[in-house]
Order: sequence, then C-alpha cells, then structure tokens
Amino acid sequence: MGQSENKIGATEAWQPLPPAEWDEAAARHLLQRTGFTATPAELARALRDGPAQTVERYFTAMPALPKPRQIADLEADSPELFRRINNGTPEEKRQAGQEAREQSREAQFDLTIKWLQLAGRPENSATEKWLLFLSDVWVVGGEKVRSSAFLYQHLDILRRGALGSAVSLAKAVSRSPAMILYLDLQQSQPKAPNENFARELFELFTLGEGNYTENDIKQAARAFTGYRQREGSFIFAPRQHDTGDKTIFGQTGPFSGDEVIDLVFQQKAAGTFLPKEMARFYLTESPLPAEYTEALGNWWAGEGYDLRKLAVKFFTSRLFFAPAYRAGFIKSPIQFYLGLVQDLQLSVVPLPRQLLGALRSMGQMPFDPPNVRGWVGGRSWINSATLAVRRQVIQALLSPINEGALNGDEQIDLAAAYADGVTNFTLDDARLAEWARLPAAERARSLVRRYVPDLAGTELEREVAAFLERGAQRGPAEAATRAALATLLESPSYQLC
Amino acid sequence: MKNPAHLLPSTRREFLQYGAKGVGLLAFSRFAPGFLVESAYAQAPAPEKDRTILVLVQLAGGNDGLNTVVPFADPNYRRLRPTLGLPEDQLLKLDDSFALNGGCIAMHQLFKDGKLGIVQNVGYPNPNRSHFRSTEIWETASASNEFLPTGWLGRYFDNACGGTPEGGDPCGVSISNEVPQSFLSEHQHPTFSLAAGRNNGRQRSENLALLEQMVHTPGVHDDDNAGYLRHTMMDALVTEKKFQKVLGNYQTKANYPGTPFAGSLRNVAALIAAGTATRVYYVSLGGFDTHNNQVNTHANLLKQLSEGLAAFQADLEEKKLDGQVLTMTFSEFGRRPSENESRGTDHGTAAPLFVLGSKIKSGLHGTAPNLDVARNQDLTYTTDFRAVYSTVLDQWLGCKSSAILGADYKPLGFI
Repeated sequence: MGQSENKIGATEAWQPLPPAEWDEAAARHLLQRTGFTATPAELARALRDGPAQTVERYFTAMPALPKPRQIADLEADSPELFRRINNGTPEEKRQAGQEAREQSREAQFDLTIKWLQLAGRPENSATEKWLLFLSDVWVVGGEKVRSSAFLYQHLDILRRGALGSAVSLAKAVSRSPAMILYLDLQQSQPKAPNENFARELFELFTLGEGNYTENDIKQAARAFTGYRQREGSFIFAPRQHDTGDKTIFGQTGPFSGDEVIDLVFQQKAAGTFLPKEMARFYLTESPLPAEYTEALGNWWAGEGYDLRKLAVKFFTSRLFFAPAYRAGFIKSPIQFYLGLVQDLQLSVVPLPRQLLGALRSMGQMPFDPPNVRGWVGGRSWINSATLAVRRQVIQALLSPINEGALNGDEQIDLAAAYADGVTNFTLDDARLAEWARLPAAERARSLVRRYVPDLAGTELEREVAAFLERGAQRGPAEAATRAALATLLESPSYQLC
Repeated sequence: MKNPAHLLPSTRREFLQYGAKGVGLLAFSRFAPGFLVESAYAQAPAPEKDRTILVLVQLAGGNDGLNTVVPFADPNYRRLRPTLGLPEDQLLKLDDSFALNGGCIAMHQLFKDGKLGIVQNVGYPNPNRSHFRSTEIWETASASNEFLPTGWLGRYFDNACGGTPEGGDPCGVSISNEVPQSFLSEHQHPTFSLAAGRNNGRQRSENLALLEQMVHTPGVHDDDNAGYLRHTMMDALVTEKKFQKVLGNYQTKANYPGTPFAGSLRNVAALIAAGTATRVYYVSLGGFDTHNNQVNTHANLLKQLSEGLAAFQADLEEKKLDGQVLTMTFSEFGRRPSENESRGTDHGTAAPLFVLGSKIKSGLHGTAPNLDVARNQDLTYTTDFRAVYSTVLDQWLGCKSSAILGADYKPLGFI
C-alpha cells in the first residue's frame, strides 16, 4: 500500500479528482481500468472532456447485444429437444441430450464471439467490462445451466439492470432461469428448501461472509421456494412456496423472495459489498481500507443503491486515481486480448477454435468462470504456460492468418466476415510500412510511447532504436518493426495497466 | 549479441552466480526465480536424462483414416469411395488387406523395419463431429458427454512432476501455434512453447535480447506485480535462451525435409539430444480437414508426416536415443467413409493412429473397422483412445494411468 492515499480522509477519498490532477497519466489510468486500453483517440477526447464527463458518457446506457443467430436457433429447437429428452427411449434421450449439449455449446461460442466483438469497440468497452464485472459477481456456470440460451438471457438480465438499482437487479437475477438451475432453486421445496441460492445470495452476491447467520440462510431459503423455470421462462409455483413466517436478520414475517432481498439491502454490509468487489475487479488485489468502503457504502445506500451512480462516483474519485493504484494491475486475459485488438486497431476474429481456445488457455473464457466465486484474478493469470499463450496471441495478431491451415467451417466463417467487409483481423502491412518509413529513433520513441508508455524516456527507447537499426541492415524495416512491436507487447509492462 | 552487460545467463548455474554478484534480477526483485524456490523443497528428482520420452503428433483437422491405412481388399472401400478410392498400384502394401497411402513411402519403410505400429479404428463412444469439441475430448481424455478442465498430459504432470525436472527444464514442450489443451493441469508446472518450424534463430535471439532488456528496465511504477511478472518471464527466458542455444548449435546427419513440420521435429530431436529433462513433446501438423478435392492434398500431408517422422527416427538412431523415444499421432476424428460430392470427405469418427519407435511392437494392432456401412453412415470404433493413452502412460511413461484417466483400460500390445 502506498502512502499517498493514507493522506486522504474517508470522505475526501470519494470526492471528485481535483481538475489540477487530471493529466494524460490519469486519463490513461481511467481508460485502462474502466475499459481495455487507452487508444490515442479516446485518450485525447478524455483529456479534453475531463473525468466526470468521460465517465458519464461511458456509463450513459448499456449497448444492446442482439440475440446471436445460433442462440435464436437453439431457443427455436429447444422445445423439440426437451420433448425428445423427456419422452424418448433411453437411447433417444441420450442422443437428444447430446445434441442439445452440442448445439448449446456451439451457440455459446457464437454468443461469446458476438460479445467480444461488441466489447472490442472502444465506445462500448466500459459498459461491457461493467457487464463482465457483474457477471463475475452474479455468476452462473455453463455446465449446470445446460442451455446457453439461458446464459444469454441471464446476461440480458444483467445488461438491463446494469445501470439501475442493485436491489431491482438482485430481484431480477433471482428470477433468471440460469440462476434457478445453477443454484438449485428448481429443486427447492417447502419440505426441503435448497439453501444453495440463499447462501450464495448472502455470501457471494450481496453481503459477504460474516454478515449473516446459518439460520438466516435456512430461513431465506424458505422464502425462495416456488421459484421455478420452465423451458427458459420464470414461473412462480404458489403451491411450492412456503408462506409461513420466517425470521431473517432479526425480523419476522411471511417474507417472499423479493422481501428477503429488500431485507438484504437494509444491511450495512450491502452497501460495502459491491464497492469491495469493484475495487478487487478494477483497482487492486489488496482490499481497500474499511473506512473507505464504509464511507462509500453509506453514501451508496442513501442513493438507493443506484449502480450507475456508484460507477460514476467510484471512477471519478480521488481514491481511484491515487498513485498507489496506478499501473500495477495485471491485465486479465480478456483485457489483454481486447486491449491488443484496440491497440492494433483490429477486429475480433470470428474463429472460436483459435480465439476462444486462446482465452481458455490464458485462463479466462468469458462468462464461464471456474466456480461460483468467479475468477481469482491478479497473479493467478500469470505463469509460464499462460505467458506463452499471450505471446502466441501477439504473434497471431501480427502475422497474416494462415488460411490453408484452417478447417473448412473456419474458412466459411472467415469468408462470411470478409463478405461483410471486415478484413482487419491481423496487423496490415500498410500500417507497418507507414511506421517503417519513420527513422529508427523516432519509430522507437513512438512505439514505446504508444504501447509501453511507462517506459517512455528510459534507456529502452535507445535499445529499441538500436534494434530497429540492426534489423534494417539485414532486411526490410517492416520485419524489424514487427519484431520490435511483438517484443514490446510481450514485455512485463504491457501485461500491466 | 553485443551488449553482454544485459545478457541473461543461459544456464541456471550462471544465473545463480549472477544473482550472487548482485547484478542479476535478484538484486532488484524480491521474488526468487521459481527454479530456486522449487529446488529448495522438491524431493531430489530422479535422474531424468535416460527416461522414456513421449512425442505426441497432432494431425489437426481430422485425418481421413480410410485413405491413410487403406483396406484395399474390402469391396466396400471402392463402393464408399468411387472417385477417392486409391488405385491398388499406387498403394504401399502392409499385408494382403491393408496398405498405406502412396504418400507414406518413408513410413512404409519404417513399418518394414519393425519401427512403425498402427492402432486401427480408434475412437470413443457417442462421437462428436465438431473439431473444437472432439479435439477437446481427445486432449482432455474425457467421455463425449463430460467436460474436463485439465488435459491428459496435464494430469500426468500433476501426478508425475512433483518438483521441477532436473535443471529446471519444462515438464512439457509444445511446438504448435496454440498451447495444447492436453497440457492444462490443475497445479502449475513449467511448460514451454516453441514456434513451429525450424529454429527461427536469429530474429528470435534478437527479440529475446530486447525482451531481456525490457525485463531489466523497471517502469515508473515498479511494484509487487511487476516484480512477479519479471520473475516469471525471466524464468521463461532462461529456458528459451538455453533452448535457442541448443537448437542453434544442433548438428545432425539426418536428412530433414524443408517443411515446418520436419523443422519442428528436428527441434525436438535437438532438445532430446541435449539431455533436456522434458519427457513430453507435442508437435502439431494442420490441414487435414479435407472437404474437397482431397486426393493430392491428403497425400502431400501424409508425405510431410511420413518424411518428417522418418528423418526424426533416423536422427534419434544416429544419436542412439531411439530407444528412449515413442512417437504417437492422433487426430480429433476420422472422416466419413462415403466420399462427398466435392471429392472430399466430411467429418467422421474413428481412425487409425501411428506409433513409432525402436521399442514398439510394429504391425497392425486392434481390429479394422467394419466397412459394411450405409451411405453416410459412420464407422464404429473398436479401440477406445483412452486405452491407447493408458498403454502409453502405464507401459511407457511409467505412471499409473487410472489416476489420470479415471478408469482402467485394457492395455494394447504396441509396447
């Protein structure tokens, strides 16, 4: 923990950053933490607009993610598949079950790529990272949910509630068919209430450990009996609902699920929980001092748990910009990949095997965290194997696609993208040639400032220039430029933001 | 390289000396490199140098088994393959019923020399025809309705690689554009990836030198995470430099063809010959998704495979290392027995795979597929791929396979 933020009092910490402290480094910090990187265009605009206006603009509204075609197909085919799974002979059931799983998986790849494409556009990056954050809190796991159509629906619930009240969002998520399946509300009955959802609601979604008792969980579980999903729609089964009195957080009444959520948000811990999660996701691996989160929590509760207001407050605050939180955060695989795409002005390639395979090997398949706790993050992203994949991703983005090595379906996907006029999946030679025309020293300086700005002005600039000069003696300046760029992107500095 | 002041030591010993003088990374990072930490607590690893080694060759895209090991005597073959059926006089006969594709001259010789084995009709129940999913099934050794987060070799590392191998060498080395899912493990193990093809030597050495420079240049915000990244990257760089040196200096009389695949195998041979403690290598050859006009494409791919493997085997024999190495191919699926309308074949199910080495039992193993299938019907596998893995794990790598595969499989006779 640095010293500077200790000088800030708990109330001051959440005051807006003083205008005098708004500079390029601060703007870069804001863009890299709210989004995936800081492109020159976004950086220039943010510098002009100031932090408040920039954050307001980023968090105005969630963009739409139209239902991907394969998700729509899956929804259309599901009734028939369910019928076969429920009514067939054992062999037919097995067959239908497998078909359903395969179709669901393919559709999930489609959904994931469509999301990466949406999130990859700089103007959407802050909201889509916010969605990723919310999905890392309100986790559902693909395996148990079975249908990726439910995952799409779950994300849609998060998307629609992402900038509204956290209370309403919690209520909406408790009705998400994916959540109902994932945390076993479907099986919950008055005689045997399943505690899984109630437990995670308190522990991992809203309050955190130590802020409820085992009895609170048991009682709350009764309130959520009757929550069901049928073929992807929420239904409330009144006869499966326990209408009796429950005592939760010291209050007694015939509480419904929604009323339990209202009770949750009367707890002090509800105000501090999400800010703590935000700090962990966006800012630092070490927990924020309690006085800060308490101050923010009190304020947030007074604002009706408005998520948009929380985001604006958090990302414009003095604490967010404190020197201790600058530049030492390890980029998640998604941030690394989408940041690269933006830094190199590329489009997300619609090839699941290559793209999603790489994200998986780096440890972060979007919307598929390892368990209900979500991703651990931080240093857990980095080891010899994941660093090797990061390097391969860089190589892949800096070299033309070897179309001969693609499978047939991949060639079709790529041809479809080309037909739509999207061709910039890898760094194009013209851009490289443009760089290559600059003298080595100038080229080195602009590459370093652009991609590893924290090393700008160090001895490294001269090293890169020398590297480029040596390269030019041997072959085309483009090749040396490409190699220098690859190396800068592989460096420790580029893995941090 | 000039500029020796910035050069990383290329061996662990040098590194330690460097560190002791206070000029290395240890001077400014509070993170000791992994090999130091690990060597402090790992049980003394047994000498690794003369242990058995597995080289896994992925034929990506789905290799057409029926035109690889051709059942020329079965009339069904001509029925299913009216235009793609290979003329008998172009085939390389293995016996009275089966022959290798004409592209496999070098492998045919290996077969005759008793060094090449063929496991026939390998697959799994309820086959999946998606490249992505079926590759995943093969790499994680799962059932087709089961999703495993780790690969079969990763689980082997978990079970067999308690400490870092001797000299801090990686447990597994992949030479492919993607880190194979086979290597994903529950615990962390040093693994290493080399770019495909022969040594990309000079350019990469220069990149490495620059990267070292970067690792040594603290940014303005140097902190714990930066230190951690530097240390992890240093570790990888030390390995890579060592490997670069090995690959750059490698001498061999073997006649490797100029293909990237052969170059990759040459690199594997170089690392093995240098006494690297790594026991698993993974090399990928792509392009097997032959949906149209496949005859020449497929024969060329098999020729690449065949000539690469033959040169690799000859190289190992010359170095007297052939007794230590088992090479095995796999592909995510075979192709449909019936050819399609574009003189190609669509995704199918079971297919043969090859095992190569001086210690293997050559010949045909398992049973051939039944070709009495309707148009567009798929083959039914007769050997489970996990039985192949279990044979390799138990009888070659000396690691109990049930711990890795979660079940016992009847060993096959190829070792």
